[in-house]
Amino acid sequence: MASNAPLMELDHLVRTFKTRQGEITAVDDVSLTLDQGDILCLVGESGSGKTTVARMAAGLLAPSSGSVRFEGKDLTQMSKAEFKEYRKAVQIIHQDPYASLNPVHTIGDTLRAPLLHHKLVSGQKEATKRAEELLELVDLRPTENFINKFPHQLSGGQRQRVSVARAMALNPRLIIADESVSMVDVSIRVSLLNTMLKLRNDLGVTFLFITHDLAVVKYFAWEGNVGVMYVGKMVEHGRTPQIIGRSLHPYTRALAAAIPEADPDLTRSKEKLQLRSLDIPNLANLPTGCVFNPRCPYWEPGLCDTISPKLTPVGNREVACHLVVRDVEAGGTGLDLVPTAQRLAGAAAD
Amino acid sequence: MATRATGTTGRDMNAEAVAARNAVRGTAESTAPVILSVRDFSVEYRTSNGYMRAVRNVNFDIRAGEAVALIGESGSGKSTLGFALLRMLVRGARIATGSAIYRKLDGTEVDLVQLSDRDFRKIRWSEIAMVFQAAQNSLNPVMRVKDTFYETAKAHGLTDKNHVRERTLDLLRKVQLDPERVYNAFPFELSGGMRQRVSIALSLLLEPQLIILDEPTTALDILTQRAIIDVVKNLRDQLDFTMIFISHDLSLAAELADRVATMYAGEIVEYGPVRDVFYTPKHPYSVGLLNAVPPIVGEEFTPLTAIPGSTPNLHKIPPGCPFHPRCPYATEICAQQDPPLIDLGGTHFAACHHSDMVSKDPSVWEAMEVAEVAG
Repeated sequence: MASNAPLMELDHLVRTFKTRQGEITAVDDVSLTLDQGDILCLVGESGSGKTTVARMAAGLLAPSSGSVRFEGKDLTQMSKAEFKEYRKAVQIIHQDPYASLNPVHTIGDTLRAPLLHHKLVSGQKEATKRAEELLELVDLRPTENFINKFPHQLSGGQRQRVSVARAMALNPRLIIADESVSMVDVSIRVSLLNTMLKLRNDLGVTFLFITHDLAVVKYFAWEGNVGVMYVGKMVEHGRTPQIIGRSLHPYTRALAAAIPEADPDLTRSKEKLQLRSLDIPNLANLPTGCVFNPRCPYWEPGLCDTISPKLTPVGNREVACHLVVRDVEAGGTGLDLVPTAQRLAGAAAD
Repeated sequence: MATRATGTTGRDMNAEAVAARNAVRGTAESTAPVILSVRDFSVEYRTSNGYMRAVRNVNFDIRAGEAVALIGESGSGKSTLGFALLRMLVRGARIATGSAIYRKLDGTEVDLVQLSDRDFRKIRWSEIAMVFQAAQNSLNPVMRVKDTFYETAKAHGLTDKNHVRERTLDLLRKVQLDPERVYNAFPFELSGGMRQRVSIALSLLLEPQLIILDEPTTALDILTQRAIIDVVKNLRDQLDFTMIFISHDLSLAAELADRVATMYAGEIVEYGPVRDVFYTPKHPYSVGLLNAVPPIVGEEFTPLTAIPGSTPNLHKIPPGCPFHPRCPYATEICAQQDPPLIDLGGTHFAACHHSDMVSKDPSVWEAMEVAEVAG
């Protein structure tokens, strides 16, 4: 095993699914690297493929092509023992607090089970001691209030923390968290994000975090990276402060501009990006050229609707947009694209 | 409202009247008539442990043309309050106390609590309409959009098919849908965002005075949410209606509301003009919520603090102020007396013994230790 290999590499992942409408490509050529202690957020709307990427990284779904490597070793090439180690090192948090805990097991049972199964403790007594430590770790104090309770006796936020504690039971190196539920209350969400940040800062746990909310990305991955996905493709990828503060790809810019802010004056004066269409394309019938071109206010006929843009390095980020790349190559910042309508009007006036 | 011209949609207002009203909408200067006055309003659910109060002694007024946001976390009673005002509570729930005086379009006043079911059916949709959460499918899956609109109109005595058709197409256009395509479609042929816009158009069909929207953007994608927000904003500029919307999303309230009511454990703990509640909140719970929302603009990192503890079980609401076990400002009196909603001036109300001390300073919260309690 190469000791200096990254913790996890996703190498040209492609995943297709057969549907009644024909074969669809849910994830199209996504590559990412995670080192120990990194935070990487994947953000996108429904159908962007972010959850499919997470499931492949977690070993729950085999890629159609490309590979997932953990510490340099391809998941499909692992021996049984190696795969077991990988399973212990990579844990998943399902963020639906109402579905992810077994309702007939106490919190103590839930936390003890993985410890006993993997023989990390010598017996029930030690398992209970470790379970208490785990509850402490996620700030469920005093622990005796929780250890013998059932999930229904806990609030949604407390349940989520139990999910985090369970994921931490095996001392994982990477946690994959899919924020599939967007309806969690604001206060609960922040306390959960803070708990996970603490695990990363104090214990060096690596995070792959899936969300649809750019504001959550900004908060959770401020010291990490973000990948923006749109109908199966990575459209922009780089350091979080840069991507959110100065988004280049028109899709990222549209997302950032669309989000309302909890500040009445600011949110009402925020500059919006008017999209050409509200419809997310059907995965079974994707547009030719750039997948975003039918909605993009900057699209250039003859270019954007014919040639699919590649993810191209721009400064120290990557962007898949012909117009941004061209502008930057011509010495521009990539921020001042001219909307198509304006450009055509200008051309007509000449 | 005095301005009630008859156009295609009946109640389009002229631009000047709209601008004049919008300028003071939701502030103390507004002189629009109060159309809903809720007093001492309580709702309870029957449970195996007896009746449980989900809304407790709520008081508030809404003026014509305002948009009022009911915000709060799950279990705060915001949805129960909305459904109770429409008398659409589930079986086993009942309005326990209070009144809700509603001023009808013809100027007469009725108590929504006392109306018979038959009389209520007459004003539902025609005076007060509701838009349900997009996730729960509120459109009949086996009916085309046009039939849903026609059936709704017919139930209220509008049987002129051509008129209903014209009005439906006009409303679909107003919510930024392709009218011809959507008119003949079944709900399953539409995306979640399109269905939500159809629901909004449907709520406006009979020109109601008041529309209640329950979590109008929840569970929709961000760009779709933006489309819904913009549609609602545009409608408010073009049409004359009053709006109550229920949301857990503070940013949505910041963007759409004129007035905001924060609910906690079944009570309205703060009520005021949107800028007052967001910039100078006077109830610690409103502050706690605001400190927990991550901003998106700005090139710096803002640490966020969660409100300590959890929302109380409604069977075991703490004595005194229900928020006191989680509140950094709490003193002895808070554990003994539940503070009433006090007028702080400028139509800004807060239910807090220490509202004069409350600020947005997050450091007050960091020092707090609250034991977590289960069950």
